Amino acid sequence: MAINEQENHNRGGNHEVTPLIYAALDASSSGIIITDNRLPDNPIIYSNKAFEKITGYEANEIIGHNCRFLQADERRQEAREIIREAVDKGMHVTVEIRNYRKNGDLFWNELSISPLRNEKGEVTHFIGVQNDITARKNAEEKLSFERQRMEKVILERTENLRNNEEYLNSIIQTIRESLVVLDPNLNVLTVNQSFLRTFKVTKSDTIGKLLFDLGNRQWDIEGLRTMLETVLPTSNPVLDFEVEHDFPYIGKKNMLLNAHRVELEGDYKDRILLAIEDITERRAIEKRKDDFLSIASHELKTPLTAVKGYIQLIKRFVPKDNSRLIDVVQKSDTQIERLNKLIVELLDVSKIQSGKLDIHRGEFDFDKMVKDTIEHIQFSNDECNIVLEGTTGVMYEGDESHLSQVVGNLISNAIKYSPGNNQINVYLSSLMNRIKFSVRDYGFGISIEDQKKVFDRFYRVGEIREKIAGMGIGLYICEQIIKQHDGNLWVDSELGKGSIFSFTLPLK
Amino acid sequence: MDQKKIFVCDDDSGIADMLEMVFEILDSETVTETNSIHAYEKILHLKPDVVIVDLWMPVVTGDQLIRKIRKNEDMKETFILCISASRDGKDIALEAGANTFLPKPFDLDEILAIVEKAL
Repeated sequence: MAINEQENHNRGGNHEVTPLIYAALDASSSGIIITDNRLPDNPIIYSNKAFEKITGYEANEIIGHNCRFLQADERRQEAREIIREAVDKGMHVTVEIRNYRKNGDLFWNELSISPLRNEKGEVTHFIGVQNDITARKNAEEKLSFERQRMEKVILERTENLRNNEEYLNSIIQTIRESLVVLDPNLNVLTVNQSFLRTFKVTKSDTIGKLLFDLGNRQWDIEGLRTMLETVLPTSNPVLDFEVEHDFPYIGKKNMLLNAHRVELEGDYKDRILLAIEDITERRAIEKRKDDFLSIASHELKTPLTAVKGYIQLIKRFVPKDNSRLIDVVQKSDTQIERLNKLIVELLDVSKIQSGKLDIHRGEFDFDKMVKDTIEHIQFSNDECNIVLEGTTGVMYEGDESHLSQVVGNLISNAIKYSPGNNQINVYLSSLMNRIKFSVRDYGFGISIEDQKKVFDRFYRVGEIREKIAGMGIGLYICEQIIKQHDGNLWVDSELGKGSIFSFTLPLK
Repeated sequence: MDQKKIFVCDDDSGIADMLEMVFEILDSETVTETNSIHAYEKILHLKPDVVIVDLWMPVVTGDQLIRKIRKNEDMKETFILCISASRDGKDIALEAGANTFLPKPFDLDEILAIVEKAL
C-alpha cells in the first residue's frame, strides 16, 4: 500500500514508532486495555500504566485475565448486560459501571469498549478505555441527595404554608371587623364571615359585585368614591371615614371605614383591603356620655349661679371699712369662678374627645373681644397689670365665645404662672393674611422638654404642679379650639425667664 | 311715677329667690315664677317692664315662652333677658326674640346693669 509505505518512510519505519506508541499509551490518564477475542474467555493482552494506577493491580495480575475481576463480588449490574450484548454483537459501547480496586475500594468506571475487526469482518480484539469518574459520580450523587432533601423541605414548607394560611384565615374569619378585598375596579373579590354576619348578606349577594352596588347603594358616597379611587394611584389610605346610613336588613348604623392598598406584587398586586367597623354602639355610648355631661354641667351651674349672686350681694353690703370681710368675699368669688371654669372645661374636653366641640361661627371685632376679655380678667386680678399693645383691626369670622375662652385662658395662665410679677404683655398684630395674638409673662418659664407636652391633656409641669393648682386641660382645650379655626398655637419660653404663648388665625 | 316691674321665670327656685333679693337693690317690684306653665298668664296680668327667662325649663321651654310673649302685640317691645347655663343658648334665645342673653353664672354687676338700663 503506497500510502502506508510513504507514512512508514516518513516516520522512520514501524520498529521506530512502536515504542513511541507504547509510551503515548502509558502517558494517557485513561486506563487502556486490549483483549483478544480469538482466545478463550477474551483475556486481556495489554494494559497501560493508567489502568494499573486506577485499579491498583500490577500488569502481571492483569494480563491473561478476563476483565470481570474488576467487578469483584458484584456481578449483577445492569451495565454488565449491556457490555455482554455489545461484546456478543461486536459493537461499540460506553457504560458507567461500578468496579473495585485491588484493595477493595469501589470506583466508578466510565468504560468504552470498541471492537477491532480483521479483513473478514471478524472481531479479533476489543479495546477498553477506562476513566475513573468516582468524583463526578459522588458529586452527582450528592446533588441528587440534595435535591431529594430540598424536595422534602419544600413539601414541609408547603405544608407549613398551607397550615399558616388556614391559621390566618381562621383569624380573619373570626375577627369582628368586617373585611372586604377589592380589585382595582372596586369589585368585591372576597369578604370575611364578619362582613356576612354584620350586614346579614350572603356571599352571592356580594362577591363579584361593584362595591357601590351593594345593598341599597350604602357605599355610593361621593367622598368615599373619590378616596377609594385614589387609593391605588396614590397609595393614600382611606382613614376613619364614617358612614351613617339606614342599611337593608340591619337598619340605621354608624360604620367606620379604613382602606389600604395591599402592598404585594404578583397575584395580589393592586388590591384594596377595606375594613368596616360597626361603631353604632360606641357612638350611642358617646352620646349618652355627652348628654350626661351636658345635663350635669347645667345642673352644677345652676346652684353655682345662685351662690355667686349671693356672694356678690354680700360684697355690696359689706361695710367699706371691713377689709377682712371684703377679702373673704373676694376670695369666695374667685373660687366660684374657678369652679365654673372647671365645669366648662370638663364639658369641653368631653366634647373635644368625641369630636363634637361646637364652633359657632360669626363675625366679630377681634380687638374688642381681646380688650373685653382683658378687662374681665383685670377686674379680679388687680395686682397684675395687663398691658395691651397693637391691634389687628380685623372683623374676624369665628367662634367669639370659644376664642375669648382661649385668650382668657392664656392671659390667666400668664398671671397664674408668674406670681410676684406685676406685669404681663399682650400683643396684637396682623400679618400675611393672618392675625396674631401673643401674651408674654416674666414668670417660671418652661423647659424645652416640657414645651412639647404642655398642650397634652392632663399634663402639668412637675415642679409647678406642687405650687399651683390645676387640672392640666386648659391649654389642651385652647389648642383644640385654635385648631378648629385652622390656626396655630405655640409657646416660646426659657426656664426662669418667662414664656410667650402665641396663636395665629388665618383670615378667610 | 309708677314702680317698675320685673318678672323672673326660672324653674330653679334657688335662682328665682336670689334674683328677687338682688333686684331689691333697684327700686322696683319683682315677681318670680318657677313653673313656666303659669308664666304667660302672670306676665299678661303683671305687664312687666323687664322679663327674665331661663332657657331650659320643663314643659314650656324658655324659647317657647319668649315666642309666645312676642306674639302678643302689647308685649312686642317688652325687654326680655334670657339666662341659661348652656353656652349654646345665645343663638336660640336671640332667635326666639330675646333682647339679650346672659350665660349662667353671671356677674351681679352685669345683670344689674342690663336690667337697670332696660327699666
